[in-house]
Amino acid sequence: MPQTPTAQPKTPAPAAQPPPPPLPPAMIDDKYGSAADIMALPQAKLIAILKDPEASPYAKAKACQRLAVIGDRTAVAALAGLLTDPQLSAYARYGLEPNADPSADAALRAALPKLKGSLLIGVINSIGLRKDRRSLDALSKLRYDADPAVARAADSALARLRPRL
Amino acid sequence: MPRSTVRITRRDLFQSVLPVAPLFIPGTALGLNGAAAPSDRVTVGGLGIGNRGASVLRSFLAQSDVQFLAICDVRNDRRETIKSMADQKYGNRDCAMYSDQEELWARKDIDAVLIATGDRWHTPLSILTAQAGKDVYCEKPCSMTIAESRALADTFQRLGRIYQAGTQRRNGTNFIKAWELARSGKLGKLTTLHAEAGPGERWAPLTSHAWLPAEPEPPKQVVDWDRWLGPAPWRPYHPSYVQGRWRGYFDFHGGGILEWGSHTVDLCSWAGDLDETAPVELEPHGMGANTPYSIHCRYANGLRLVLRDKGFLGLGSCHIRYEGETGWIETADGGKIEVSENLRSENLFVSREEAGQATTNHVRDFVNCVKSRRQPRSNALAACQAHITCHASYIAFQLGRKLNFDPATDAFTGPGSDEANRMRSRAMREPWRI
Repeated sequence: MPQTPTAQPKTPAPAAQPPPPPLPPAMIDDKYGSAADIMALPQAKLIAILKDPEASPYAKAKACQRLAVIGDRTAVAALAGLLTDPQLSAYARYGLEPNADPSADAALRAALPKLKGSLLIGVINSIGLRKDRRSLDALSKLRYDADPAVARAADSALARLRPRL
Repeated sequence: MPRSTVRITRRDLFQSVLPVAPLFIPGTALGLNGAAAPSDRVTVGGLGIGNRGASVLRSFLAQSDVQFLAICDVRNDRRETIKSMADQKYGNRDCAMYSDQEELWARKDIDAVLIATGDRWHTPLSILTAQAGKDVYCEKPCSMTIAESRALADTFQRLGRIYQAGTQRRNGTNFIKAWELARSGKLGKLTTLHAEAGPGERWAPLTSHAWLPAEPEPPKQVVDWDRWLGPAPWRPYHPSYVQGRWRGYFDFHGGGILEWGSHTVDLCSWAGDLDETAPVELEPHGMGANTPYSIHCRYANGLRLVLRDKGFLGLGSCHIRYEGETGWIETADGGKIEVSENLRSENLFVSREEAGQATTNHVRDFVNCVKSRRQPRSNALAACQAHITCHASYIAFQLGRKLNFDPATDAFTGPGSDEANRMRSRAMREPWRI
């Protein structure tokens, strides 16, 4: 694509301000390295991190975020295994939500009876975003859940599932 | 027992309910001394107001027909600072402080909310505030993803609430003059619009996925870390994030492309009559570390948009340059306007002071629209489309390849678009949703 001719760069230097104190070095996973190292791994190695009991939450979180972009059917079970983890459940959904394989819907659906409170709400929200109509019955029951926040989430997800006129 | 009938006259009633001492009603409450009458005032609350937010708040406090009533923030020190600003302005102690936004939304006497939290909160809070029946002025960038951008516009359009993005340059005198010239036809048919992206040495175009090492969380009443994170994925606490150094991290920030692009792409969209669309093609250049970078975009009508961090005339930050078949114009925050030789006779002088009034003008535009129910300059749909262009540019840059985009469906198309489409949204941490 041709470059449009423009004047020479003359962007002035920003006004002098005292530099902020340097940030500490970013976290490094003893086994898997930096975030950039982890996110450069192929899918099979990312899945292995999710299954590794010695991997830190950091390594697992970064693996989930990368699997959101490249994960296929083979990543679903490992991601679903983290849905009950209070710190990593959101990361598991992060990986599952954009996964086009129907097994991701099944995994989210299967997690519903295992969860309560915020984690349950998170899974309901993901089901709503994926518009999984096979969850209609389960969500219809959750509309009357004793936890009003869960009931509201189920109601909201159902509204997304219904076909628009 | 028969019920007795007691006749009460109007005079009796007034004598019984009026206080014995003479009633003093301050002139401001009656709309005297230049103050707006209560019925003509716009009442405002604030959510998450730090340094930039305080600057915008000063513009709100300067409006005689605005009354700032309450602040909500996860940081106690910031709540106190903003309360102090408002109380000092009004000479009272009335500004309420909350740490939970639900309490602010429950206030029926608040018409509009200024949102100046970190970027991760902008869309969810804007949507929830609109659902609570209030209008919104929200700092930029207004969204974290393409999906959030669309949800934002859809919500405000559906609910009929007023939304003003904090892209105040649409009300900056020099940028208005550039817009007028572009739209007047004096540049000829527009060919290329240039938008300054955040300089790479300050904000790398791509953000980092790293975490800072964990430090002990402070007590909730000092900083509520869970609420600070909000919809962003969990990570361990580090005080640097809370002290404003959250920029540059993928979970919280869109890098230089969103930081400046949310302003400059927005201005280019406005000048090019592109407020309701997005490019059909995006091609990144200059992906090497510490090299000038650019993203070349093409719209369906052939108009080109170039986001780049270098090569402008040095007129200040946030440059825009509009090029047509017969002339060009360039300006930036300094207020000075440069044009092609054939346009030198145009009256394009703008003083630095005048150029510096953009935020105040923008706030005034918002307050006027809250009253009139007309669309402000940086309304939700315009902001949505400009942000979609920025997010799509970020995705093209991150993937390092040319992408095709369908503005009608907000989706990337063609071979290799699957990864790009997966990057259009991000799961929110429970219990948040949009």
